[in-house]
Amino acid sequence: MNPSSNASRREFLKRASALSITGVAAPWALNLAALGEAAAANATGYKALVCVFLYGGNDYANTLAPYDAPSHALYSAQRPVIATARAALAGTVLNPLTALAGAREYALAPALAPLLPIFDAQQMAVLLNVGTLIEPTSKTAYVNKSVRLPPKLFSHNDQQSVWQSSLAEGATTGWGGRMGDLFAASNGNATFTCVNVTGNAVYLAGDSAIQYQVTSNGSVPLTGLKNPLFGSRACSDALRALVTAPRTHLYEAEHARIMARSINADVQLTSALAGISPIATVFPANNGLAAQLGMVARMIKARASTGAKRQVFFVSMGGFDTHDGLIDAHPGLLAQVGPALAAFHAATVELGVANEVTTFTASDFGRTLTSDGDGSDHGWGSMHFVMGGAVKGKSFVGAAPVIANNGPNDVGQGRLLPDIAVDQLAATLGSWFGVSNSELPTVLPNLGNYSLTNLGFMA
Amino acid sequence: MHPTTSLIVAPHYPTVSRHFDALNDSRVPAAPVLGAASSATLVACGGGGDSAPPPNPPPSAVSREQAARLLSQAAFGADLAAIDQVRSSGYATWLDQQMAMPRGQSRLEYLYANGFNAVEHKNTRNGISNALWNHLLGHPDLLRQRMTLALSEIVVVGVTGIAGLSFRSFPAAVFMDILEANAFGNYRTLLQEVSTSTAMGSFLTYRGNRKAVPAVGSLPDENYARELMQLFTIGLLELNLDGTPRLVGGKVVETYVQEDVSQMARVFTGWDLDASKLAGDSPERVQSPMVQIAARHEQGEKRFLTTVIPPGTDGVQSLKLALDALMAHPNIGPFVGRQLIQRLVTSNPSPAYVARVAAAFNNNGAGVKGDLKAVLKAILLDSEARSTTTLTDPAFGKLREPLLRFIQWARLAKVDSSDGLWRVGDTTDPATRLGQSPMNAPSVFNFFRPGYVPSASALGGRTVPELQITSETSVAGYVNYMQQAISGTGSLGVASGITRDYSALLLLVANSAALLAELNVLLAAGQISDATLALLKTALDTVVVTTPAGQLNRLHAALTLVMAAPEYITQK
Repeated sequence: MNPSSNASRREFLKRASALSITGVAAPWALNLAALGEAAAANATGYKALVCVFLYGGNDYANTLAPYDAPSHALYSAQRPVIATARAALAGTVLNPLTALAGAREYALAPALAPLLPIFDAQQMAVLLNVGTLIEPTSKTAYVNKSVRLPPKLFSHNDQQSVWQSSLAEGATTGWGGRMGDLFAASNGNATFTCVNVTGNAVYLAGDSAIQYQVTSNGSVPLTGLKNPLFGSRACSDALRALVTAPRTHLYEAEHARIMARSINADVQLTSALAGISPIATVFPANNGLAAQLGMVARMIKARASTGAKRQVFFVSMGGFDTHDGLIDAHPGLLAQVGPALAAFHAATVELGVANEVTTFTASDFGRTLTSDGDGSDHGWGSMHFVMGGAVKGKSFVGAAPVIANNGPNDVGQGRLLPDIAVDQLAATLGSWFGVSNSELPTVLPNLGNYSLTNLGFMA
Repeated sequence: MHPTTSLIVAPHYPTVSRHFDALNDSRVPAAPVLGAASSATLVACGGGGDSAPPPNPPPSAVSREQAARLLSQAAFGADLAAIDQVRSSGYATWLDQQMAMPRGQSRLEYLYANGFNAVEHKNTRNGISNALWNHLLGHPDLLRQRMTLALSEIVVVGVTGIAGLSFRSFPAAVFMDILEANAFGNYRTLLQEVSTSTAMGSFLTYRGNRKAVPAVGSLPDENYARELMQLFTIGLLELNLDGTPRLVGGKVVETYVQEDVSQMARVFTGWDLDASKLAGDSPERVQSPMVQIAARHEQGEKRFLTTVIPPGTDGVQSLKLALDALMAHPNIGPFVGRQLIQRLVTSNPSPAYVARVAAAFNNNGAGVKGDLKAVLKAILLDSEARSTTTLTDPAFGKLREPLLRFIQWARLAKVDSSDGLWRVGDTTDPATRLGQSPMNAPSVFNFFRPGYVPSASALGGRTVPELQITSETSVAGYVNYMQQAISGTGSLGVASGITRDYSALLLLVANSAALLAELNVLLAAGQISDATLALLKTALDTVVVTTPAGQLNRLHAALTLVMAAPEYITQK
């Protein structure tokens, strides 16, 4: 697909935007219909992009621990209380197809052991030191303040916003949603383009694409419509009319729009999910992230009846703000992440869509390498994973940062100065997803600041 | 608090393409709700000490609907007695009466009275939910409870984030008691007590925080220093009195930089539990304020914003100086004032409204800054809150939070707890309950951000915070839960001990129109249209009321329908 070739659709977006400026309560469904007419619904095959967001700022140094002896010694020296012992890492050492320079080695946290076979099967890559930037940033430029930086580094909500949207906190759209804007018209039902199986996230909000929210068990029906409301069918009918009718007051109108979408999508999704056989892959129990990914897998399996050809999913897990008690809490968190991701990957293999589904991790920020007692503080760059059959796996992307406090690759306390920008990661994923080079800047407004816009880890 | 968030974007993203700029323009905030012409009528109504006294109309001047409207903003909806009180006293006097009401039993006292200090509860959070619902659903000091809830969504502690302590309900209860004790007090005192509370110290991880130890490379935890500035006091951008960003050379100005955070973090070192208090099988230590441990406090200079705390200053004095500095910052009035307006009255207050409230924050008329009584009066007596012209403005008002809708129903239904334990439980799950539960925000950023702007909507870039937790899942989950709550099924069935008294409403049930008219006033301050009432009347008339069961069915259906109506869900 080449969405950029369709100038009329872009014009439509501008008009739609202008409409919303005036606050005219134009029925949005009408706008979507117009979008459908204007856009070429010519995406072929199926692709899904799955963002796994680790809320709170995942501790990079204990997620991907330095393993070669000199590096591990430096790492241990910077965080004596909270470092993982080298012996404990021996079973999860990563052996990439191409070794890192300087004989640098990394090991997965022991709790992430379920990911090792996926890495070894060349279906997972590790991104070294990726984070929020506006433009390429050197340590010198950072120190000299001669470079534009994302506003409010090290702050949760601000950096969540930049990670998810490439824009400052307060942004109303994210890059997942903006990809959805381009592809919604390719799907049989635009509602199922951007699907959130956890709480509201700006990542999935588009200019026209909505983020459709479901639970790990699917959509929630209105019981007052399913069954007669207190025995009265007339009251059920009144309820439906009441909650969905267009309204003049802007907030009432928006609420009615969400309610109408909830009712309509529930009928379609429930029917679609009822039409598939159970997925054989076992997702770990008592694992909220796994449950969310299980619903993603079911929706992928039901793609024929929902008519989806391009989908962007968002799942999440919280608890990563490990200021205190890191050594106790963090392994338990990763022990949810590892099995959840591994089960999801196995499910995509079972469904025959491993090459069509790409999953990546993200988080507010990395943390400090140095300790603030028995935890770590808010940082910047971090280590992340990209998983799927289309990933050129068993590889590291980027260079191993120098392990130090205020060394060449950190801005103090081992807060990594990102080597890879989130925009570069997003552009690489977007290109795989089908976003054309000319359309990428509309998804990623700062991409023009980088000469390298494809990191090459996708087949 | 970002009324013009798009302005933040511009300085940092100058390379944005023309196409993208066009899309971004949808984020430009709407024009103020009230123009200059109408603001002229507001002069006498503001909260500033230098303006004329607020209006206190004679009883006949306040309609039932107007009284109910005040009660939806200042309390948890209306009942007939409260409406009569507001009508006979007038708005301002009613507020004075509410502020003069005595505080009831504290949450801490409730925990002890109900035996939650027993050793079996030591490693649990048992009791806090019961204590919180007891206050929200049962206590009669309406304005104080409403203000306490509003404050708890600005100065946020989540119960689940109080980690590493025994008897975790106790510091949580004390924290809410602090907000309640200062609901009509001074914001400076509130900040002081919050900053030394064990709950906040645990939630934002500065309890046990130590000065830097160069030998091991450890530095003070910056968590509280950052959120205290960003969320509780001054925010990210310098503000004008009216809450709009102050521009210098056309650009916004950040209030602080990372170095300010690192420096202020040094203030929050040395605070820990009071070891002189009983621990072990007693909650005494975790319910007591934190104390300073001098050996752990950073003794060096602390330099942030425009403040310099000299070397050798002890921890208690450093805290005082830091909070004094934040309290003196010109942002705090508009920053806190605007959020309180959003919690009580409207999501997009005009800059003039914010300015009047901020002026009251800055000076209560007697030269005192931070007097929350003056702030509340300024918010609730302002003509933007009281004028009937705002009722027809399609962008005025706010979505009622699901939590407030539930409390409003419970108050209307005269809900009681047969065993005094208020077993409502955790209402956080959006699929089956409210998507919101007291003291259970997922993080210090509350359930929703004050600056949340929905995308892919026809809202024209306006902020509607409550829409952040409004989804396809939550809108259905809410109605389903209310249907259960109203009829006493599901988690609020007989086993919960939650009882309802619908006797007054049942007197009206034979006449659907009369029943709806009453619910319209009590729940929606008369803001549901005749067309909607006609739709509901036609449906309710089909429910046969010749039996007690039929009467209950019609009442339950009427309550569910009214509470599902977008015209109710939006408080104007």
